[in-house]
Amino acid sequence: MPETRRYSPLRLVVVLLVIAGFIIADHVGSPTFRRNMGEGGFETTLTQRESQAAACAPCGAPCPSERKDD
Amino acid sequence: MAATAETVAAGEARRPDRFVVATAIVAGLLLAALIALETAPFLVGLFFVGGALGVGLYHGAFGFTGGWRRFVVHGRGAALRAQLALLALAAVLMVPVLATSGAGLTGAVAPVGLSLVVGAFLFGFGMQLGGGCGSGTLFTIGAGNVRMVLTLVFFIAGSVLGTIHLPWWLEQPGVDPVNLAAGLGPGGAIALTLALCAGLAWWVTRIERRRHGDVERRLLAGPRGGLAGTLFKGPWPLAWAVVVLAVGNLAVLLLAGHPWGITLAFAIWGAKALQAVGVDMAQFEFWTWDYPAMALADSVLVNVTSVTNFGLLAGAMLAAGLAGRFNRASLGRIPPRSLLAAAIGGLVMGYGARLAFGCNIGAMFSGIASASLHGWIWFAAAWVGSLIAIRLRPRFALAND
Repeated sequence: MPETRRYSPLRLVVVLLVIAGFIIADHVGSPTFRRNMGEGGFETTLTQRESQAAACAPCGAPCPSERKDD
Repeated sequence: MAATAETVAAGEARRPDRFVVATAIVAGLLLAALIALETAPFLVGLFFVGGALGVGLYHGAFGFTGGWRRFVVHGRGAALRAQLALLALAAVLMVPVLATSGAGLTGAVAPVGLSLVVGAFLFGFGMQLGGGCGSGTLFTIGAGNVRMVLTLVFFIAGSVLGTIHLPWWLEQPGVDPVNLAAGLGPGGAIALTLALCAGLAWWVTRIERRRHGDVERRLLAGPRGGLAGTLFKGPWPLAWAVVVLAVGNLAVLLLAGHPWGITLAFAIWGAKALQAVGVDMAQFEFWTWDYPAMALADSVLVNVTSVTNFGLLAGAMLAAGLAGRFNRASLGRIPPRSLLAAAIGGLVMGYGARLAFGCNIGAMFSGIASASLHGWIWFAAAWVGSLIAIRLRPRFALAND
């Protein structure tokens, strides 16, 4: 153990558990989770990725599909 | 990345913090298992690439923010030359891959206009007050820096605000993305990038030599201790970090289909939080576009940027634990004015990152490595913003070390 540990290990674990809780809560409400559970008929990130020949870079700029409307 | 980031890896070596190392490994493996179980193999790969990037950023103390400031304030250019070497190496690696990949891979190529200039200026301003850029904020949080959590919270808030205003900014004067490889060919684009990097490195070196009479050789310096000890416990020679970050960005490109980015995930996390408390984000145009709309609706575990960020956090935590320095940057009282600077800096960075289509990683590093003109314009505008904020740092109890 480092001789000058100043953080609380318990607090660190709690923070990580809270983050994990947020991630799991977000995931179980997602289309990807529903598809994994056997539902279908809707688009997910992975199917959107497969359907678009060129991936749209996640820089926040409009994707080509939106730019057509300009 | 700021002094807060750089001081993390400075100083004498310490014994590894076994609790932090074990926690980082267990948490990382559990998250990787969840990603493997619920999503796709390429996302597991991205998680581990993010981890390697986090280790590289921490052990290399690879500072964009601090490096810029060190040159401006002290006239020392080793960190800036390392950044230029990173841009050059990444361009050499990525431009040919993008040129020969067909439609399968997309570079970080974004429009050039008022939105980009204003956004990058704001980002450069904010990163000096916030204490770290996009990557710096994340890896210092992974290393247990409490102040940077505040920066991230406001970074997220500013990002969401930026997404709301981005459609208006895009209506302001500007032109479509300029891909230098399309105009000059891949070879010409690489040659131009190398020439610009070499020219800037020469300028930096000339100023450093004029001011000090000598030039720091940190970029080419070898490890301070044994190879294995340095690899695991750091600090790394700058050249190691340059190679890991450049190869890491290439790996992200090959796995994800586009280069490394960080900050769009912050906007997604913030929008998800607002949506969770009842805000209808679909009322804002940005969140109706294909990519953001799907990213908002779907799991963060299938969002490339979020997954890479999670890996980066875990990697930085592991590296800080191995170095025995986890939470070291948070020792002592944090002045209230420093916290105010963290909030202002985070907010401005978040807003600027959305207007400028990314941060120092997604727009500058990945943009230049994709031979996109917007990367260089981002660099110039952010530099001007940084120059102003560096002068303001002392007013916020921030040392210009």
